[in-house]
Amino acid sequence: MKTWKRFEHIDAKTVDEAASILRTGKAVVISGGTDILGAMRFEILPNYPEVVVNLKSIPGMDYIKEEAGVLKIGALARLEDIAKNALVRSKYTALAEGAHRTATPHIREMGTLGGNICQMTRCWYFRIPDNRFYCIRKGGKTCYAMAGDNRYHSIFGAVKMCLAVNPSDTAPALVALNARIKTNKRLVEAEKFWDMSIPGSTILDQDEIVTEIQIPTPPPGSRSAFIKFAIRKSIDFPIVNCAALIGNNTVRICLNAVHNRPYRATAAEEVIKGRAITEENADAAGAAAVASARALPGDRNKWKIPIAKAMVKRAILACE
Amino acid sequence: MEGSGQISRRDFLKDAGLVVGTPALGSMIAADQSATRTTKTSDSAKGSLPSPSSCAEGLHMVELTVNGGKYRCAVAPHWSLRQLLRDQIGLTSPKDWCGGLGACGSCTVIMNGRPILSCLTLACQCSGATIETAEGIAKSRHPIIQAYINNNAFQCGYCTPGFVCTAKALLDRNNNPTEEEIRDALGGNLCRCATYQRHPPAVLEAARNLRQSA
Repeated sequence: MKTWKRFEHIDAKTVDEAASILRTGKAVVISGGTDILGAMRFEILPNYPEVVVNLKSIPGMDYIKEEAGVLKIGALARLEDIAKNALVRSKYTALAEGAHRTATPHIREMGTLGGNICQMTRCWYFRIPDNRFYCIRKGGKTCYAMAGDNRYHSIFGAVKMCLAVNPSDTAPALVALNARIKTNKRLVEAEKFWDMSIPGSTILDQDEIVTEIQIPTPPPGSRSAFIKFAIRKSIDFPIVNCAALIGNNTVRICLNAVHNRPYRATAAEEVIKGRAITEENADAAGAAAVASARALPGDRNKWKIPIAKAMVKRAILACE
Repeated sequence: MEGSGQISRRDFLKDAGLVVGTPALGSMIAADQSATRTTKTSDSAKGSLPSPSSCAEGLHMVELTVNGGKYRCAVAPHWSLRQLLRDQIGLTSPKDWCGGLGACGSCTVIMNGRPILSCLTLACQCSGATIETAEGIAKSRHPIIQAYINNNAFQCGYCTPGFVCTAKALLDRNNNPTEEEIRDALGGNLCRCATYQRHPPAVLEAARNLRQSA
């Protein structure tokens, strides 16, 4: 087994302490560790961190509670605890299902919601060990997926020339449920939280740390759902996933793993808004969602388009 | 390895582990490091652990309970829990198959009641943790062991410690799981021999025996 290169390890006591260590530019934060430790072990990034700052040592950041019509989840709440939580399952079904379909049971027992939404892309050029492809996402000049094997890459075009997709299963659920992400600096809508950054996937500053995820209670009479397509039922990252919240004049549909950030399918929302959830309408909404999707030159990722259409359709039908 | 006078590598590692395994504190650090050295000499090709002289600085002292025994170990910040369990404490059940990707589940141990991957856990973050490995589960004669034997729920056996830990963690929380729940819980453990069909009956049998003895 490849072992890690040496680093220093600091148990942070407060978020501010962790942020001040991040400000040095030589540190990374760790919560569940299932993403960052793998990335470090295989040295996928050009710069190996000198310091690893543990967030798990900060007390009281793993709560799941409902306050004044808002579900508040601490950034360190583990995915398995969210997936099993009766309140989340009954009222915020898409999130519970998204958390439940993430990775393996072991990784859900370790991984946190804050970490899941901040995870780096799984693009295989980005992830290749020893930084053998110094791609645009790492500060290089080229997206190797543009000319290379891009069968899992974006069907909605590039963002800042990067074709990688966001692999999170909880992200589309948070967008569909109209969540807000609280950091040590600001409160931002989930929809605006993700962006192509080097080397991350979010708009977070170097010294910014997610502290809480807030989800307003869905309107009465509405239902939410999450559907995922992956090669294997367990373990695998999504090929395409989709979350939807429908009912009471509200329609929010979000796809993921199809674009650089979670992709809100507004065209599908327009089709289903004010109409009954039927096989026919759901099918039309699915078609609308992928109407602007384009396979990359060479058609290697063309197969994802009908899957995305089916995911939108099934997510809508699951909200019936 | 057939000759009676020879010591197998595994016995050698277990003996080396026993030195550390004595549940007494005090001179444990010295014992840990001698164990590290013995492990290293028995498998010089692997030698990735720092020598005792190079780990004198920057070490973290962790106290943890493993299979009921208390341990106090000096670990470097970049060691995994799997390294600590195997190379210092001498428990060889957390296996390495996927090379530390978190993709196979063969390094599963139970930490504070949760089945976790010891290859993606930093040893220095385990202070105060209660850890159970397949060795401890076998030693406590948990019904899962006999159920796995009765159902022949393994072929080569390499993935079995991981499966046993995951199944035991499930049974600790729920002693009456459905087959669906069992399949879901074991979904992160891979078996190259593909003995998957035999795991649910084995866990169901263990659950029955657990309920009867309760």
